[in-house]
Amino acid sequence: MADLTVIDDKAAWEARVDRLWAARPTRWRDAWHELTRNKLALGGSVIVAFFTLVAIVGPALAPYDYAKQVLSDTLLPPLTQGHLLGTDALGRDLLSRLLLGIRISMAVGLGTTAIALVVGTVAGMLAGYYRGWVDRIVGGFVELVWGFPLILIAVLLIGAIGPGLVGVVVAVGFVNWAGFARIVRGEVFALREKEFVASARALGKGDLDIMIRHLLPNVVGSALVMGSYYIAIAIIAEAGLSFIGMGAQPPLPSLGQMINEGSGYMLLNHWLSTIPGIVIVLLVLGLNVLGDGMRDVLDPRLKGTG
Amino acid sequence: MASYLARRTGYMLLILLISSVVIFYALRSAPGGPSGGGVLSPLSSQEVRQAYEKRLGLDQPVYTQYFIYLGHLARGDLGTSLVNGSPIVELLATHARNSLVLGLTALLISYVIAIPLGVLAAVKRNTWIDQLAMGGAILGMGIPNFWLALILVYFFSLRLGWLPSAGCCDPPQLIMPALVLAAEGTAVTMRMTRSSMLEHLRDDFVRALRAKGLPEWEVIIRHVLRNALIPVISLTGLRLGWLVGYALIVETIFRWPGVGYLLVDSVLRRDYPVAQFFSLLLIFFVLIANWLADIGYGLANPRIRVA
Repeated sequence: MADLTVIDDKAAWEARVDRLWAARPTRWRDAWHELTRNKLALGGSVIVAFFTLVAIVGPALAPYDYAKQVLSDTLLPPLTQGHLLGTDALGRDLLSRLLLGIRISMAVGLGTTAIALVVGTVAGMLAGYYRGWVDRIVGGFVELVWGFPLILIAVLLIGAIGPGLVGVVVAVGFVNWAGFARIVRGEVFALREKEFVASARALGKGDLDIMIRHLLPNVVGSALVMGSYYIAIAIIAEAGLSFIGMGAQPPLPSLGQMINEGSGYMLLNHWLSTIPGIVIVLLVLGLNVLGDGMRDVLDPRLKGTG
Repeated sequence: MASYLARRTGYMLLILLISSVVIFYALRSAPGGPSGGGVLSPLSSQEVRQAYEKRLGLDQPVYTQYFIYLGHLARGDLGTSLVNGSPIVELLATHARNSLVLGLTALLISYVIAIPLGVLAAVKRNTWIDQLAMGGAILGMGIPNFWLALILVYFFSLRLGWLPSAGCCDPPQLIMPALVLAAEGTAVTMRMTRSSMLEHLRDDFVRALRAKGLPEWEVIIRHVLRNALIPVISLTGLRLGWLVGYALIVETIFRWPGVGYLLVDSVLRRDYPVAQFFSLLLIFFVLIANWLADIGYGLANPRIRVA
């Protein structure tokens, strides 16, 4: 940290802080460089990027309508003429359903995590920055949901509003924001005592300015690492709930719903369930590996210990 | 510590009370009502439906129903199922026992597999054993448990015919649900054992013991493992809480008549008395498990004992 000799001239101070700010450690540039060198993270990013692309453009390229039943063409095996992955018990094209299913699962995972990340970061930031009663209130809510099994809360919530994706999204968001809030609060709590915050405050910067310009960039890394794990958790939760009939409702295909529909045909037509299952496993592995890789890059001390 | 325990217990009771109100209202606000297990059908006339609801007291305001329910609970009357009329006390006896058998077996399996493998991976760090174990752990955390269940059923029930695909309560029927329920916990415990071992293998006392000429296995098993296991064991409380969540899905898949299966089934069938009692029971269990986790954490690491 540069010396903090008293400078009366406020403009000079400002110029100095701006210079320090511009010369802050190039952590993000380094991180990007590391990320592209870290094989784990690279592999994870490739998988995640691939599925993101599929989720965006896949359904538009689907050869058939996902709900179109052709009862003369039921249970065709994969690689049948005209049906790359075959058809299900109602003669619906499996590839078309899979492409939409990937979009739904990804949307649920990304959507819930984005909500949880924003809510959790804001709550954690306020709690860590203002401490006192704000901290106690946020901490009370975190305690309330932390440690509760996601699936239990989801089942109860769905009991109240009826089966469907809305219940899944609300339940996952309701539980997962607490994870972000805990991490961000802890980091802000410590960062607030650092010199750069004190000097920004001495310059008369407002609380909001300090939080957004000075604290946020320091916590966003850990939040993103957590985010990749939480997307995976949300995808698994959605699939599990759809599997037991509480998530996506027919004819809408989510990956878990497809596995459920195929589960009655395991002996002779196992691909109905195995193909969407393999997609989930790949997606979740990609996200977890990406998270591990990002963690190694942003906090090299933890490398190989987790 | 005593005041902490008192505060913690009060907090638990408060959450339980809030949950009971929320659950009570939530279940009744849901679309659709109880079908009465065949007493009512979608074709039943309005009068029949109203008479049925009146008999169960469902025509009264929800808060009146809530206080009546609390009164019954206080007298030890848990009520009966709306679907098949079985007393909830009986359901509790059989289903809680089944869930405990399944959960404890899963916990046991996960420790028996995870701890030795975690130790081995740490001792043979960066060899193929380590990589295989950690690769397995990543898979264990990435494979959704319900899909693992289907794959196991496909191979062991449908193809090989070795194990029954569902049901209760013989040992062969227990094997697959317990394995599936254990999978993720095994992966997490293995990773934790490994990293905790690695941390303690670097300690000074290890060097001192080796310098004393103690055989390597004794250093590792008797000294390093004993220290390394503390965080692993204190994780048990949290894992009990997770098990409750997974049990909802695993019991449903294998039709294992435990509390999780009963809860999912009663929520979907709008069997209010069963759903509200067993959801509160599970919440109570999770709260106790978290409480144990906190205590365990404090005992394992006095420096961070919760003030």
